Amino acid sequence: MERKLRGRGIAASWYGIARTATIDRAGAWAELDDGGTAKIVTGVTEIGEGILTLLAQVAADELGIKPSEVTIGDNDTARSPEAAHAGATRQTYMIGNAVHLASQEAKKHLFEQLAEHWNVEVDTLQSFDGEVWSNDTNLRITMEKAVAICKSRGVVPVGSASFTAHGTGLDPVDGSGSPWQTYVFGTQVAEVEVDTYTGEVQVLGIWAVHDVGRAINPRGVEGQIEGGVVQGLGQALMENYETVNGHTTTHGFAKYILPTSLDIPQINCTLIEDKDPLSPLGAKGIGEPSLVPTAPAIMNAIYDAIGVRMKSLPATPEKILQALKDKVPGREHFVHAAREQRAQAHRN
Amino acid sequence: MSKLKINLEVNNRKVSRETEPHKRLLDFLRDDLNLTGAKEGCGAGECGTCSVFVDGKLVKSCLMPVAKAAGTKIETIEGLAEPGTLTPMQKAFYKTGASQCGYCIPGMVMAATSALRENPSAGIEEIKERLGGNICRCTGYTKIFEAVELARDVIAGDIPQEALEEDAVGSSYIGHNVRRIDAPSKVSGRLRYAADIKMHDMLQLQVLRSPHPHAKIISIDTSDAEAMEGVVCVLTSDDVPAQTDGFGVFVHDQPIMARGKVRHVGEAVAAVAAEDLVTARRAVAKIKVVYEELPGVFDPEDAMKSGAAVVHDYAENNIVKHIPVRKGDVEAGFANADIVLEDDFSTQQVEHAYLEPEAGIAYVDPDDVIVVMSPSQNITHHRHMLAHILGKPINKVRFIMSAVGGGFGGKEDMIYQGMLAIAAIKTHRPVQLNFTREESIIASAKRHPSRTHYKMGLKWNGEITAIQFNMISDGGAYGMSSEGVMRKAAILSCGPYEVHNLSVDTTAVYTNNTPSGAFRTFGGMQAQFATESMMDMAAEALEMDPFEIRRVNMMKIGSKTHTQHELSAASLDRCLDAAETESRWEKGTPNVRGNKRSDLGGDDTRAPCTLGARFTNNKNSDNERVA
Repeated sequence: MERKLRGRGIAASWYGIARTATIDRAGAWAELDDGGTAKIVTGVTEIGEGILTLLAQVAADELGIKPSEVTIGDNDTARSPEAAHAGATRQTYMIGNAVHLASQEAKKHLFEQLAEHWNVEVDTLQSFDGEVWSNDTNLRITMEKAVAICKSRGVVPVGSASFTAHGTGLDPVDGSGSPWQTYVFGTQVAEVEVDTYTGEVQVLGIWAVHDVGRAINPRGVEGQIEGGVVQGLGQALMENYETVNGHTTTHGFAKYILPTSLDIPQINCTLIEDKDPLSPLGAKGIGEPSLVPTAPAIMNAIYDAIGVRMKSLPATPEKILQALKDKVPGREHFVHAAREQRAQAHRN
Repeated sequence: MSKLKINLEVNNRKVSRETEPHKRLLDFLRDDLNLTGAKEGCGAGECGTCSVFVDGKLVKSCLMPVAKAAGTKIETIEGLAEPGTLTPMQKAFYKTGASQCGYCIPGMVMAATSALRENPSAGIEEIKERLGGNICRCTGYTKIFEAVELARDVIAGDIPQEALEEDAVGSSYIGHNVRRIDAPSKVSGRLRYAADIKMHDMLQLQVLRSPHPHAKIISIDTSDAEAMEGVVCVLTSDDVPAQTDGFGVFVHDQPIMARGKVRHVGEAVAAVAAEDLVTARRAVAKIKVVYEELPGVFDPEDAMKSGAAVVHDYAENNIVKHIPVRKGDVEAGFANADIVLEDDFSTQQVEHAYLEPEAGIAYVDPDDVIVVMSPSQNITHHRHMLAHILGKPINKVRFIMSAVGGGFGGKEDMIYQGMLAIAAIKTHRPVQLNFTREESIIASAKRHPSRTHYKMGLKWNGEITAIQFNMISDGGAYGMSSEGVMRKAAILSCGPYEVHNLSVDTTAVYTNNTPSGAFRTFGGMQAQFATESMMDMAAEALEMDPFEIRRVNMMKIGSKTHTQHELSAASLDRCLDAAETESRWEKGTPNVRGNKRSDLGGDDTRAPCTLGARFTNNKNSDNERVA
């Protein structure tokens, strides 16, 4: 056998968006503010995934201003409306849509005032990137001016919204139910090289294809996929929290091995945008789904490379060497038997 | 304690201070100089979040006693650029989206800066090697590599400065790569996480944790600790209302501090609030707890056997939650199969390893509202639980989510906020608790490990006729998110395939191991690891291409899921097609054909490497190995 062998494997996956088997909800407030800026207030936001930026984009796009002009107040149970929790691949879907709807309402109030002021139909009004105009006219002003006009007429342009995703509980006997409103799918391919002397596996390439509904910030989506893939790689090959009679033997990062820059494959992301028909933004989510197919894709690639099926994670060098040593020629035998059976079935 | 007089230069300013001799350079920078850009991620030199320059060399400041820094020139993240400006490296991190939670980023920026200072034309392999001492848990490093290469090229003048600016917007901000609005504060080290915040008159809390996996608490003697100068209060479960004590994401089975017995090593037993950290730690060591050890259960299958030690009285069989999913007629499905595969799979417990260990501050505000500020992923639920435990109206409990240095599900459990709140109520002073890495690892929940027995029946054409799926999972000592994890694992179990006959059971079991809880995918990856392995094994047995067998079975619009939900949208067909095309997949049976494949080693893969032996330092004529 050659020392270093390569192989490829694939895995597909699916995932539900927002909280499971329950009615999920999130609230948000919006205000078009002086200077043509905006305030958005909502219950929970950033844990690193980039939701703050996404919400600024959603609000900016709906209101017609720049994302940098959006101020987000958040993360305070006494000062902001409930948006539940930061998890379950729910923030883009739940809070993104709540912010979209709240912004829409704030803009509606502004547009109503401006339409009266200009004496035009409200549905001729549009705004983008800090300007407001009436289609097919020469009426065009800055958002700063528009807010001043609105306020001079006695109206503060504010909005609020609640977004709901309907899930149902599972039947206690057969588990039937509709646990989520929307699902995402994905597929990853892994290419590995296995060192049959040391048992080390290097993942050289990952092709990650994920449906995200609509990519609000494509670079942010890629960041979530890359992070998920590397956590999946860690679980596949090295990470292992161990205890002996309840006492951990992996009590720090010297013992608990994590992927570093040297372990990273080239990650090639492809985004599929199958818009969600049940929500105004059409976006779904990516935080958790990106991790799901990585480990099985790597295990399938290891099998392709060296013919041992790693069924117990993580596939550490020690386990790989042991598996190579113990390799029973049972798999080929099994395939052969299946082939015989199939031929037999065909003859019958 | 006698003080150490120290003179050094920090960010081009002369500094002359008296400090405690036990301090590390990291403590001195953070506590004495309030330079909190350098973070403590592990305290052991493993993660690199505390990286600074000492006399121009990249150093992990958690490993350097402050006395050793005397007379040196220190440069921290705060000193890289004038306030309000960013270096090209920081701008490049901003541009590429290289910061996510941001906790590792000051250290990462320091390491990246060091890489280009050492070799301004460093190639990607050298860059990777030079970043090898810095862990990032969020980004998968890819955008960080891109940032360093971008900064290198801009600094070298190979590409224009404008490459660091935001792309011009088209007709919509949706679908546009707007730069992260929180990035400037993260790449410059300005963003303060809970452990970076100081309040006037603030106490430090430290926790006494159980050394036993399962033991009765006979007595707790706190008198020596309470008598110590500088100790302000000592907490045990006696300070928590017994009737309402208990929290958890689904079942409220976990007391704020151990009540009557401990159920896992590392469980909080008592806590001390003191004027400073050292006093709090010393006081914790003076608390005397008498335990009576109990037989423990450490394996989920053992725990379900009759006669096994019972972890929680309410669950005599130690079962946290069992979720059944049934659809169609499994027996008929197997009878109709041409081939039946059966196998077992297992996954391990996994640590979230967010770079920011748990930290928080609690205080009572002028309206008598108890405020808890921590990187909690679920402030809404924590507010409910804490108000109930404390017997307060819900508007008298306020949770603020401080900047979160990585969560991944691991910060959904209210494992320390209750102690902080009670200490603040008792003392009417702000109280802070910062976990060490070791404490974080033993006290926080992990990804559920799993053991899955799998049986799959298929027709010769690859169509799945039936699946039987049985997963047992070690939930550890407390319920935490186990119920939800088992539910999600069951719902997603058989993968993105329409299976007409299936029987799925997932069961989480109490043991005396470190609890399992929420972790990115919430049971989804454990289940689908088994399914996706089976799919390839089936493809091999049926001599089918792995994409083809998945297409035969994939969910489509109108398919009924495992829980009989009719899908109004499904995109797996497009995902499979794109993956096959993008990866230039060579069709064939997954039967160890790796060696013979022609689709390997494309320019969309990286080169393999020999870890630690890849590049030499060009500055030296001898072949010095750097990593």
